[in-house]
This record gives sequence, structure tokens and C-alpha cells, in this order.
Amino acid sequence: MPREEKKKSAEENEKDRSGGISRREFTIASMAIFGAASVGEGKAITQVANKKLAQPGIASQATAKLPLTSSARKISLTVNKWKYEVYVEPEWILRDVLRDQLGFLSIKDMCNGYGACGSCTVIMDGRPVLSCMTFAAECDSATIETAEGVAVDMQDLIEAYVMNHCMQCGYCTPGFVVTAKALLDRIPKPTEGEIRDALGGNICRCGTYTQHILAIKEVTGNA
Amino acid sequence: MKTVKKFTRVNAKTVEEAVSALRAANAWAMAGGTDLVGTMRFEILPDTMYPKILVNLKTIAPTLDYIKEEKGMLQIGALTRLEDIAKSSVVKSKWAALSEAAHKTASPHIREMGTLGGNICQLTRCWYFRLHDNRFFCVRKGGKTCFAISGENRYHSIFGGVSACMAVNPSDTAPALVALNAKIVTSKRTINAEEFWAVKIPRSTVLENDEIVKEVQIPGPASGVKSAFVKFALRSSIDFPIVNCAAAIGGGTARICLNAVYNRPYRATKAEESIAGKAIDVASAHAAGAAAVTGAIALAMNKWKIQVAAGMVKKAILACA
Ligand SMILES: Cc1cc2nc3c(=O)[nH]c(=O)nc-3n(C[C@H](O)[C@H](O)[C@H](O)COP(=O)(O)OP(=O)(O)OC[C@H]3O[C@@H](n4cnc5c(N)ncnc54)[C@H](O)[C@@H]3O)c2cc1C
Ligand code: FES
Ligand code: FES
Repeated sequence: MPREEKKKSAEENEKDRSGGISRREFTIASMAIFGAASVGEGKAITQVANKKLAQPGIASQATAKLPLTSSARKISLTVNKWKYEVYVEPEWILRDVLRDQLGFLSIKDMCNGYGACGSCTVIMDGRPVLSCMTFAAECDSATIETAEGVAVDMQDLIEAYVMNHCMQCGYCTPGFVVTAKALLDRIPKPTEGEIRDALGGNICRCGTYTQHILAIKEVTGNA
Repeated sequence: MKTVKKFTRVNAKTVEEAVSALRAANAWAMAGGTDLVGTMRFEILPDTMYPKILVNLKTIAPTLDYIKEEKGMLQIGALTRLEDIAKSSVVKSKWAALSEAAHKTASPHIREMGTLGGNICQLTRCWYFRLHDNRFFCVRKGGKTCFAISGENRYHSIFGGVSACMAVNPSDTAPALVALNAKIVTSKRTINAEEFWAVKIPRSTVLENDEIVKEVQIPGPASGVKSAFVKFALRSSIDFPIVNCAAAIGGGTARICLNAVYNRPYRATKAEESIAGKAIDVASAHAAGAAAVTGAIALAMNKWKIQVAAGMVKKAILACA
């Protein structure tokens, strides 16, 4: 098989598995989210990125061959201001629905769902919560914000994150960003103590902790 | 991430509905889920205990999520999130031990989800009990052996076992409720906090199958009484307590309760006798700390915990000065 073709089919496979978004598309989108702010045209690009991540999701549940049983129920969710209606089984976890079916790939799973790392944090009805410990069926009519949404809503926070080198491998970063956004929604000018307290449930394997505090202080003008 | 096995959900609309749904076999009450989802995902329980029906208490109306002060008494609904308790200025003003305990529980995210009712009803964190796929069929699951007795027991009981189980109660809010002389109002009765966990394993609380916690009531502090909570954990930002202690002292009285040292919250009566009516200073607090752990029996690996417990009692007393 010619090399080109081989590559393409791998990407298609990936697309099937990840709810319609290939790794390459995701990388581009996430680069826009985390990288573009610093080059000055962040707004436009991240909005496109948000659409890119959110739009295919709608189609993905409609077309996916999910093993739905008679116990599945329809719930409606507002995720990053987009409205979704999805069928969920009683035992489905919110994280899997948001990530695997709706395509919000910023939501991570660093601790296997022990509730011990914060990388799956989303803001639900104003509270930073762990999507890995939440049953999707219990979230009907919830308003949810993920890192994709924060990238649009609070660009200066993302910019401060980039400028302060808050990530090494970057795996924990979306969880931190979402938790920080929840903090700033409640307390626009948090003290260092309040920042440390709020981020207490986010674990970073690479040890970037001190940088997050600098970034949040910078964005609130408390530096 | 492991998926959760199939189960049926009942969204209870009233307390009565919840209670009647709980009469079914293998029905469990579900509040914030921070304990229950993990238990289910990792299938730690044998099939005979595994939840087949989850009774969602969050849909009960009027909601059991409230904090109010009535005639000097604090009333907290069972479904109140720990973070709301920690942030409440009412709780902070007069019931400092509970305010601090709620604030030091788990991580911010878990406090935003976890409820007071769930926190006092949570299952033990003994690592044999919790290992995936029911690898250790221990006494708490209906087996015959407590694997901690001859195994890794560095975090286990220092006051002996209950029905040969050496696991400890991991709750942070429980000792605060005991020290503050709280009452636990269930769908059936009102129980003194102290008696809430006085039960033989495999149960964790005296609750019957068809009984749920509705409210926690705490009397207003008598004049001159101050309360405090201290916790020792590996990482202060998220970990379970290795030992914690709550105290309410003043006006000639003292109530001191340790947790994570025994199967249930452990009221340190000897420390209470030692400090009640005395001026609080480093020497008297130290003596009370030493009194608290008289009668402690170390397992092979947890002698150090006895010293920690004495230190926690001392710290809690000094915080009430
Ligand atoms: C990573 C991690 C760290 C943690 N650290 C701590 C810590 O440091 N200190 C600490 O104390 N806890 C800690 N926890 C435990 C967590 O705080 C508690 O599990 C939480 O308070 C439980 O509340 P919930 O509403 O989520 O309970 P659920 O998970 O919903 O329920 C827990 C249990 O209580 C029962 N239950 C719940 N509500 C009621 C009710 N109203 N009536 C009768 N039964 C009920 C359920 O059937 C279940 O058995 C930690 C948990 C995790 C995952
Ligand atoms: S994956 Fe949810 S807390 Fe780690
Ligand atoms: S940057 Fe690697 S885990 Fe945080």
C-alpha cells in the first residue's frame, strides 16, 4: 500500500474511535487553544477551535452505533454554551459522555477515576467537579464548562498560562485551567492562600505547581 | 478508565419514596457519589453486596441541602455539600470544629460534590477492603479473615478491632460531630452522634437498610466553650486523615474525639477527664494527649500512630485555648 494511503486510514481509524475528531485535528485545535493567545490572534482561532471540537460531537452521537438498551434516557446538557441532547445509560460516567461522545478532548483521566487528580474537572452549575465521579444521567439540564469553553471565555487566563510556562507534558493543564476559572468566577481577586486552596485537588506529575499560582496572580493583577 | 457495571437508578422524589426503594435487595442510597462511584467502578464488594439499585437522594424535594440556625441550634441537611459547610459563616462563627473539619476533608472538588450525609456514612478506606475486584474477601465482606492483622497495617486501628476487623473510620466530619454533641436525624429516629457508628461489622453505621440520614443537628455552644479540629495527613490538600481530632472545651467541660484510629470515631474520655476544668497550657494539653492513648495497642507496623494520636489531642486542646 502506498504510504500516503496508509497514513490516511490510520487517521480515519482514530476518527472513529474519538467521536469524529482525529488526533491531528485535535492537536491543531488544542494548539489554537493553548498557543494562539500569545501570538495575538487568539480570539478568532480559539472560537473556530471550539466549534471544531463541539460540532462533530452532535453528529457523532447521532451516527454512533452505541449499545443503547431500554434503560437509556435522554438528557440535555449545555456545554460551553452549546446545547446537546444525548442518550445515556444509567451507569455512564459524565467524563466518558463529554469526551468520547461529544468530543471534549480537554477532559483527561490521569488517576483512572479514583477522584484523586482533578484532570477531569469540569465546571457544572458553577462548581468545579470531577466528571469521572459523576453519573451523566444525573446531570440532566446541567450547564457545563470545559477547558475548550474557558479558552473562549477567559483568554487572558490562557495567555497567562502560556506566558508562565504552566505546562510541561500538559496532561493536567486543562483540569487546572478549569479549576482556576471556577475560582475566578467566584473570587475575581483571590489571595495566594485562596489560589493554593482552590487548586489543592489538581495533581501535576511534572511539578508545575508554582507556575499556576504565578499565572493566576498575573491575570488578576495581584502579581 | 474502568466502566461501571449496570444498575437501576431510582430518582426519589420524597424521603418516603427513597426509604421504600431502599427496601429492595442491594439497594444503596446515592448522594454525591464520591465514595460510591469508586466502590462500584473498582468492584470492591462481592456480588452479594454490589449495588444493583441506586436511590438518588439529590432529587428529593424539598431538598435536604440547607444550613440554618434555629433557636441557637444548627441544622444541616444531609445533602449539604462539604464545601458549603466549610464556607458558611454561620457554621464558622459558633461551630468552628465542624467548619474546619469540612474544610480539611478531601480536595476542593470532592468537597463540592461530597455531602455531609455521605461523609458520615462512607465505607472504610482499608486497602485490603478497597482493593479492586474484591481481591481480599475480608471480614467486612462476610469473609473470615482480617488481612491487616498480619499484613500491611501501618494505618490501621490502634485501639484493637471490632469483630476482628482492624479497619478505621476515615471520616473527617465524624469526630467534629461527636465533639460538638450532634444529633443525627434519620427517616426513623434521632441518634446521638456518638452512637451512630456503634455497630458490629460489616455495617459501618447503625442505619437500617431502609433508613437514611435527613439532617444533622448541633446544639449552640455553651458559654465559654471553644471548639477546634486538627488533622494529620500525608498531603494536607487531598489525603485521608492518618489521625484527626476534634475538641470542644470550656466552662469546666471537655469533649474530645479522635478518628482514623479505631473502627469508629474514638471518644478520648481519659483526655477529657484530664483537661476538663483545667487551664489550657502546653503541659496540661500534653498530659491529656498522653492520657488519650493509654490503653492503645499497636499492631506490627503502627506504633508510630499512637504518638501521632497523642500529638493530635494535644494540638486540638491547645487550639481551644
Ligand atoms: C480522593 C478522595 C479523597 C478523599 N479524602 C477524604 C478525606 O480526607 N476525609 C474524608 O472524610 N473523606 C474523604 N473522602 C471521602 C469523601 O469525602 C466522602 O466520600 C464524601 O463526603 C462522601 O459524600 P458523598 O455525598 O459523595 O457520598 P456517596 O458516595 O454518595 O455515599 C457514600 C455512602 O454513604 C451512603 N449515604 C450517602 N448519603 C446518605 C444518606 N443521606 N443517608 C444514608 N446513607 C447515605 C451511601 O449509600 C454510601 O454508602 C475522599 C474521597 C476521595 C475519592
Ligand atoms: S480522573 Fe477524575 S479525578 Fe482523576
Ligand atoms: S504538566 Fe505534566 S502532569 Fe502537569
